[in-house]
Amino acid sequence: MVFSSLTFMYAFLPIVLITYFLSPKKLKNIIILISGLIFYAWGEPKYIMIMITSAFVDYFAGLIISKSKDNKVRKRALLIAMTIDLGFLFIFKYSGFAVSIVNGVFKSEIPVPNLLLPIGISFYTFQSMSYTIDIYFKQVKVQRNFLNYLCYVSLFPQLVAGPIVRYEDVQNEIDERKINVNLVGEGVNYFVRGLAKKVLLANNIGSLWSSIKVVDVSEITVLTAWLGILSFTFQIYFDFSGYSDMAIGLGKMLGFNFPQNFNLPYLSKSISEFWRRWHMTLGAWFRSYVYIPLGGNRGGKYKTIRNLIIVWFLTGLWHGASWNFVFWGMFYGFFIIIERLFLSRILEKIPSIFRMIYTFLLVVIGWVFFDLNTMSDSFKYLKAMFANSNGLFDLDSVYYFKSYIVVFIVCIIVSTNVLSKFLGNSNIIKKYYKYSVPIYESVLLILSTAYLVDSTYNPFLYFRF
Amino acid sequence: MKYKQKKYSAVIFLIIMLSITLITFIRPKTYFSEIENRELAKFPKLSFGNIMNKTFMNQFELYLSDHFFKRIEFIGVKINSELFLGKKELKGVYITENRLVEKMPSPNYKAMKQSVEAINKIANSSDVPVYALLAPTSAGIYYDEVYKDYPQIDQRKLLNNVYNEFSKNITLIDVFSKLHAVRDEYIYYRNDHHWTCLGAYNAYSSTVKKMGFTPVAFEKYDIEHANNDFYGTFFSSSLYDKLQADIIDIYRYKEGTSVTGVYINNGFETNEYSSIYFKEFLEKKDKYSVYLGQNQPMVKIKTNTANNKKLLIFKDSYAHSFVPFLTQHYNEIVLLDMRYLDDYKKFVNIEDYNQVLFLYNISTFSQDQNIRKIAYDW
Repeated sequence: MVFSSLTFMYAFLPIVLITYFLSPKKLKNIIILISGLIFYAWGEPKYIMIMITSAFVDYFAGLIISKSKDNKVRKRALLIAMTIDLGFLFIFKYSGFAVSIVNGVFKSEIPVPNLLLPIGISFYTFQSMSYTIDIYFKQVKVQRNFLNYLCYVSLFPQLVAGPIVRYEDVQNEIDERKINVNLVGEGVNYFVRGLAKKVLLANNIGSLWSSIKVVDVSEITVLTAWLGILSFTFQIYFDFSGYSDMAIGLGKMLGFNFPQNFNLPYLSKSISEFWRRWHMTLGAWFRSYVYIPLGGNRGGKYKTIRNLIIVWFLTGLWHGASWNFVFWGMFYGFFIIIERLFLSRILEKIPSIFRMIYTFLLVVIGWVFFDLNTMSDSFKYLKAMFANSNGLFDLDSVYYFKSYIVVFIVCIIVSTNVLSKFLGNSNIIKKYYKYSVPIYESVLLILSTAYLVDSTYNPFLYFRF
Repeated sequence: MKYKQKKYSAVIFLIIMLSITLITFIRPKTYFSEIENRELAKFPKLSFGNIMNKTFMNQFELYLSDHFFKRIEFIGVKINSELFLGKKELKGVYITENRLVEKMPSPNYKAMKQSVEAINKIANSSDVPVYALLAPTSAGIYYDEVYKDYPQIDQRKLLNNVYNEFSKNITLIDVFSKLHAVRDEYIYYRNDHHWTCLGAYNAYSSTVKKMGFTPVAFEKYDIEHANNDFYGTFFSSSLYDKLQADIIDIYRYKEGTSVTGVYINNGFETNEYSSIYFKEFLEKKDKYSVYLGQNQPMVKIKTNTANNKKLLIFKDSYAHSFVPFLTQHYNEIVLLDMRYLDDYKKFVNIEDYNQVLFLYNISTFSQDQNIRKIAYDW
């Protein structure tokens, strides 16, 4: 199930919230657990056992590691748990890619497995693994109740698309949390804004990208190419950050405080800063569980570079099992390394607007590699952006421009937060804040619902056939 | 103060969400949507098998969206918001000042080539004269106005290119120039993708000249405005309701010959009707079907025109308002719709006919993958 669907908002969520609020404290975790399993099974009834197995392995390893004083046993338990977790991830996400590489290198013809990717496996594997590793390093308390542990893994707000909530983040709230109307209200603030970002902005601007993406790239003009990739730039930001906001909001409604996942990333002044503002929980995960254990920056210049290369290779690969994602990760790794070596010293000297342009431009170029399926498609697209022989614009691009310019402006305003900076200081807003926010949220909720209803509108055009 | 805001936000959100949910599920249901012209989903059966293969979930989602509270009004909110954002295109339909026009998809050139080859094969293997009429749609005739604002395929160019591919044995009928000349008249519906009776009449008058007849003069017809509340396919797709409704006309030629029987095969059986007009459709949404009913595999029209001439037409729905004019010139007309047929030879033998006409609008023709079936040996 996805949050931005009628089924979630007008069937699942109301039922869950009502039963959750009305039930006694002891039952609340059970309700979260059951609702998480239903939420997951709604989209993936067959693969639900993989998630439960993975959770059980980490729970059990956690028990052993915390109980045992023998370092060998502790290490072995950790390694077995990680092997099983990553094994599932590898089989379902990377086996096809790995086999095709083997076939390519050895000219063999091993059939390429084509498994359906279990929803959210990249997220819940990392979440669940964080617990076992933290237990090993004695960062968190052991969870003795399997149902409570499964409740953490299957906590539906964060189950399928982040933020990557580590056990550490919610360990206290799993056992004991406060639920009150103010926290619910705060959750509503997050949820409705996230919903509007996803449904009103991401889907809307995304439809421009989907119409441009299908056109033959050798025929498009400069303006079309730029409108296309900029629309994807906003689409992915609002899609992902909107989804994270909805997750954080839903967490608060249930009494959990999840970490922030996005912090106006398109205002970053360097690539390193961008990754401290974009999908922050993923960056933090790789820092805690890969970069630091490898030695971080404490082993001198060359070791630091090596560690960064490993981290950015894995970050790319985490996003998808193909070379373009690996390239995309390494592309960021490259700029982060050169910023660390010398570029940041130069950047510090230039006005921040140029630093923002530098960062934004690289991020936009990055999205070309991210969203086009092959490297050669990506380079063709870059050619259309920078070395185009079809002219600056044509009727198509002007039409796209006219149809989407308002949406673009709204996207720019929301992704830079200029309006709230501007309005936040006005006294009128402060005075009517308690009324204006709920009204504005109701409007967003109704509008988002309208867009969701519209997407299901399906006339049977008899005379077409 | 901030706490009050949170409290109000929480309460209002829960009220909106819960009341929409509650009303959606408990209100009485209807199971047919007139505006969408389809059956609405029923509540799914709960069973282990249905859950494991996701039938239950998919069905439930359809049920919820089909019966959602104030569904059409919600869509209206979305349309107004899109128009407010400056968009002029809704679900593949362009909004212009005077009419809705289709956003014609890029032609499927491979399919078109196969259709032309199949038609050529028929023409080259038979002595029966073959005619081809590819009609422009409103997007083609009003290209100049539309193209100012929207990227659009030039149908005149496309028609010329396709016509060049046809065999020399085929008589090509160009109605584009004629329709273009009278484009200020009401020749296309505003809210539907068909031509009006007047548009069909203009096409008819230049067509029958090529086929060896003198067209009936326009003044000879008594015109009945059978209905003035027609909102067709463009409206159904876009739900854009700010244009005037369309008028359905019926042209009658009192001094002429008359239809003696209409035989429609619906794929299972053939039924006989007395008229080519099906007035019951004037009460429904699908009002264009007043002309010869909805699309069917085969329609045969017998008239008392005393010339023993027989015409065979391969067609799409553009033929439906066009064929009534032809009844004056033929004793028998058979219409075949290849979208609902495999082997047309089960119904007719081409050699029994005096003439064969292929009548399609260019938009259908540029996508159709069924015409090629006429050349198959089944």
